[in-house]
Amino acid sequence: MSAQKKKAFQIEAFKHRVVVDPKYAEKTWKILEHAIHEIYNHNASGLSFEELYRNAYNMVLHKFGEKLYSGLVTTMTSHLKAISSSIEAAQGGLFLDELNRKWAEHNKAMQMIRDILMYMDRTFIPNTHKTPVHELGLNLWRDVVIHSSAVQTRLQAILLENVRRERSGEVIDRGLMRSISKMLMDLGPSVYQDDFEKHFLEVSADFYRLESQDFIESCDCGEYLKKAERRLNEEIERVSHYLDAKSEVKITNVVEKEMIENHMHRLVQMENSGLVNMIVDEKYEDLGRMYCLFRRVPNGLVLVRDVMTSYIRDTGKQLVTDPERLKDPVDFVQHLLDLKDKYDKIITSAFSNDKTFQNALNSSFEYFMNLNSRSPEFISLFVDDKLRKGLRGVTEEDVELVLDKVMMLFRYLQEKDVFEKYYKQHLAKRLLSGKTVSEDAERSLIVKLKTECGYQFTSKLEGMFTDMKTSQDTMQGFSARHGADIADGPMLSVQVLTTGSWPTQPITTCNLPAEIRGMCEKFRNYYLGTHTGRRLSWQTNMGTADLKATFGKGQKHELNVSTYQMCVLMLFNNADRLSYKEIEQPTEIPASDLKRCLQSLACVKGKNVLRKEPMSKDIADTDTFLFNDKFTSKFFKVKIGTVAAQRESEPENQETRQRVEEDRKPQIEAAIVRIMKARRVLDHNNIVAEVTKQLQSRFLPNPVVIKKRIESLIEREFLERDKGDRKLYRYLA
Amino acid sequence: MPLVCLSSPEGIEALCSDLGVDYTDVRILMLAWKLKAEKQGYFTQDEWQTGLKALGVDSLTKLKKALPELEKEVEEPSNYEDFYIYAFQYCLTEEKQKSVDIESICELLNLVLGVQFRPQVDSLVEYLKVQNDYKVINADQWINFLRFCKEISFPDLENYDATQAWPLILDNFVEWMREKQS
Repeated sequence: MSAQKKKAFQIEAFKHRVVVDPKYAEKTWKILEHAIHEIYNHNASGLSFEELYRNAYNMVLHKFGEKLYSGLVTTMTSHLKAISSSIEAAQGGLFLDELNRKWAEHNKAMQMIRDILMYMDRTFIPNTHKTPVHELGLNLWRDVVIHSSAVQTRLQAILLENVRRERSGEVIDRGLMRSISKMLMDLGPSVYQDDFEKHFLEVSADFYRLESQDFIESCDCGEYLKKAERRLNEEIERVSHYLDAKSEVKITNVVEKEMIENHMHRLVQMENSGLVNMIVDEKYEDLGRMYCLFRRVPNGLVLVRDVMTSYIRDTGKQLVTDPERLKDPVDFVQHLLDLKDKYDKIITSAFSNDKTFQNALNSSFEYFMNLNSRSPEFISLFVDDKLRKGLRGVTEEDVELVLDKVMMLFRYLQEKDVFEKYYKQHLAKRLLSGKTVSEDAERSLIVKLKTECGYQFTSKLEGMFTDMKTSQDTMQGFSARHGADIADGPMLSVQVLTTGSWPTQPITTCNLPAEIRGMCEKFRNYYLGTHTGRRLSWQTNMGTADLKATFGKGQKHELNVSTYQMCVLMLFNNADRLSYKEIEQPTEIPASDLKRCLQSLACVKGKNVLRKEPMSKDIADTDTFLFNDKFTSKFFKVKIGTVAAQRESEPENQETRQRVEEDRKPQIEAAIVRIMKARRVLDHNNIVAEVTKQLQSRFLPNPVVIKKRIESLIEREFLERDKGDRKLYRYLA
Repeated sequence: MPLVCLSSPEGIEALCSDLGVDYTDVRILMLAWKLKAEKQGYFTQDEWQTGLKALGVDSLTKLKKALPELEKEVEEPSNYEDFYIYAFQYCLTEEKQKSVDIESICELLNLVLGVQFRPQVDSLVEYLKVQNDYKVINADQWINFLRFCKEISFPDLENYDATQAWPLILDNFVEWMREKQS
C-alpha cells in the first residue's frame, strides 16, 4: 500500500463568469459620488465608512475600477474649481488665509476619500499604473487651484509683497507664510521653486542691489558691514521660520553677492574707514565682521589679505628706512616687536587665527626686515641691552617670553651669519665686563639659537662660556698658589680666552705700569707651568681696571676704567702735567686708540678726571693734560671706560660687512664641492638652487658670487666643464 | 733644404721674411700649431723636421706654397678648436703660468678670431680694455670666448642666457653690451 499524496485543501474560483448588472455599477457610483460631495461640504459625519468602503470595494472587484477612478477625478475637479473661485474672490489680505484654509480642508477631505477608496488604491491603481489617490489629490489641487491663472499670479505677488514688507520692518503673519510654503513644497519641489523661490530670489537680488547701492553711498565701511551682517542674519532667520531649508544657501548667496561681492573693493579701500584704518585703529570687532563676511564670497579673503600685506610691507619698509628710527637700535627693534604683537593680536582675535594670514604676515616681515642690512646688528644690540639691564628683576617666564619674541624676529633674518658675528662681539663684551644680568637667560638664548640653527652656530659661543668658567678655576688655583706674595700688590683677575672661540682682535701695543707688569708675569708663569705648549698674549684693548683716586680736596672716588685709561692715569702718579707726546711714548698705545682714550678722560662732562689744554673738543698732538684735582661727582664709583656695545659707525660697518663677505666665500665653495661630490655632474641652475638651499639657514648667497666661486674651483681643478655638454659641470675627484 | 737652425727668435724672424710673412701673422701661429711647437718664439730641430714631414715639404718655396693649405686645414671644424686652445697655451711662457694678461689676450683674439668673428672680437676687445674685474684671462674663460662667438647671435645677443654656465666675465660683457645698445 503506497502512501498517498495528501492534497492540500483547495478552494477553486467560480469557473463561470459572474456578471454584474451595469446598473448596479452606476448605482454604486452614485452613492460614492454623493459621499464625496458630502465630504467636501463638511457633512461627512453622516456617512458610514464601512458601507462606502464596501461599495468601492465591490466596484473594483466587479471590474468597474475605471469608472470609479474617472468619476473620482471628475468629481474632485469640479469641487476644486468651485474652491478656486472662492479663493479668487477673497479680498486683499484674506486671500492667503482663504487659500490656507481651503488647503487644509482639502487635505482632510483627501484623507477620508483615500481611506474609502483604499482597495482601489492598492489594487486597481498599481495594476493600471494610474496616479494614487493621495497624489492625485495633490496634482489636482496644483493644476486646478494653484495654477489657475488668477490664483497663480496673485499668490506669487502676495508672497513676495509680504517678504518685502517684512524687510522694511513690518510685521507679517509668519505662521501663514509657513503653511503656504509648506503647501508648495508638498505639491512638489519644482512647484515651490517655479512658483515661488525663483521669483523670490530674483526680487531679493534687485532689492539688495538697490539697498547696497544706497548704503555704500551713505555709510562708512564699519556701518555698512554691520548692516550687511544684519540683513544676512535676517534672511537666515526668515528661512528657518517660514521657507524651505534648501532656500537658505540660495538666498544667502544672493545677499553675499549683492551686498558684499559687488562692493568688495570699494569697502576694503574706503577712505578713512576701510581695512587699513581698521587695522591702524585696532577695531577688532569690525575686522572680525569683515573677515566673517568676506569669507563667504569667492576671493573675499584673498582681497583682505592682499591689502593687509601691502600695507604691512609699506609701513615696514618705511620703518626700516627711516633714518630717525635707525638712530636708536634698541628702540627700533622694540618697534618691530610691538608691530608684530599688534598684527598677531589682530589675526588671533579678528581673523580667527587664519593660517594664510599668519603666513602673509611672516612673509611681509621677512621682506621688509631684510631691506635694511643692519637688521641683524640691531637685533643683537637689542638682545645686548636686555641682557645687560633690560631684564633685571624680571621673572623667568617673562624672560623666556622676551627671548622667544626675539627669536621670532631672528627667524626672519636672511643674513643670520651677520647676526652671529655681532652677537659674538656683544656677548664677548658682556662676559668680559661681567655685565650680564642673568647667566641663565644667556644660556637659554644660546639653546634657542642652537635649536633653530644647529650645533655649529653655537659651538663657539658655548666655548666662550666655558672659557669664563675655566678662568675662574684658574684664578682660584693662582691665588691658592701665590696667595701670600700677591696680597700686597694690585688685585689681578685674568680671563684666559681660547682664540678660536672669541671674536678676533688685533694685537695692539701697550706698556703696562710696572706694578701690573709684575703681576702679569707671575700669572703667565703660573699658567704656562700647567699648560705647556700654549701661547698667551695680553689683550690690552679688552681689559678693565678699578682705580682708587684721591682728588684736590681729599674727595675719594673709585674709577672704573679701561686698561688703556689705567695706563694713562697711572702716569699722573708721578706728574701733574703731561703733554700728549709724554703720554704716547711710555704707554706706546696706538694713536687712534690713545686719542679716544684721552677724549673720554678729559672731554666728557662728569667724567673729566683730567683737564686738557686747550679746552677744545678734539685731541691734538700738541695738547697738554693735567690732573683735574677739582673733579667732583656725586657717585663714589665713577664709570669711565666705554665697554658697552654700541651701534657701529659707517666705516666699522663696512669693515664688518667685508669680513662677512670673505667668510662666506669658503662656505659657498664647501657647499659647491659637497653637492658636486654627491651628484658628480650638474648644470648651473641646479647648482645655484642646491647651494642656496644648503646655506639658507645662514644667509642668502648671491648667484653672481656662486658663479665666481665655481670659476675659482674650475681654475683650481676641483671642477671642470663637461666636454660634451658645456652647460654641465663635472666633479674632478 | 737647408737645415735652418731656428732655436732662436731671430731665426724665426728670418724664416718669416723668407716666407714673405709678417712675424705677427697668424700663419706663423698655425705653423707652430702644425709643428706642435712647445715654446713661443722657438722651433726645435725635432719639431721643425717632424712638422715639415707632416706638411710634405722639403724646401722653403714649397713651405711658402703649403701655407694656404695649412690655413684651410686649420679652419676645418675638427681642427679649429684644437688650434684655438693651442693659441692660448702657446702664450703661457712661464712655468706654472695659468693665465694670460689682458693686453696679450686682446692681440690673440684679433689674430685668431679676427677674420671669422670681426664684430664680436672688436666689441670684446673694447670691453676687456675698459673693465677692471679681471686683469688676466684663464684657459676656461678663453675657450668660452670661442663658444660665445659660435653660439650666440650677434650683436642682438638674443639667445644669451646668463643663468647658464657662461663664465662671469661673459655675463658682464653682455650686460655692458646691452647697456651700450639701449
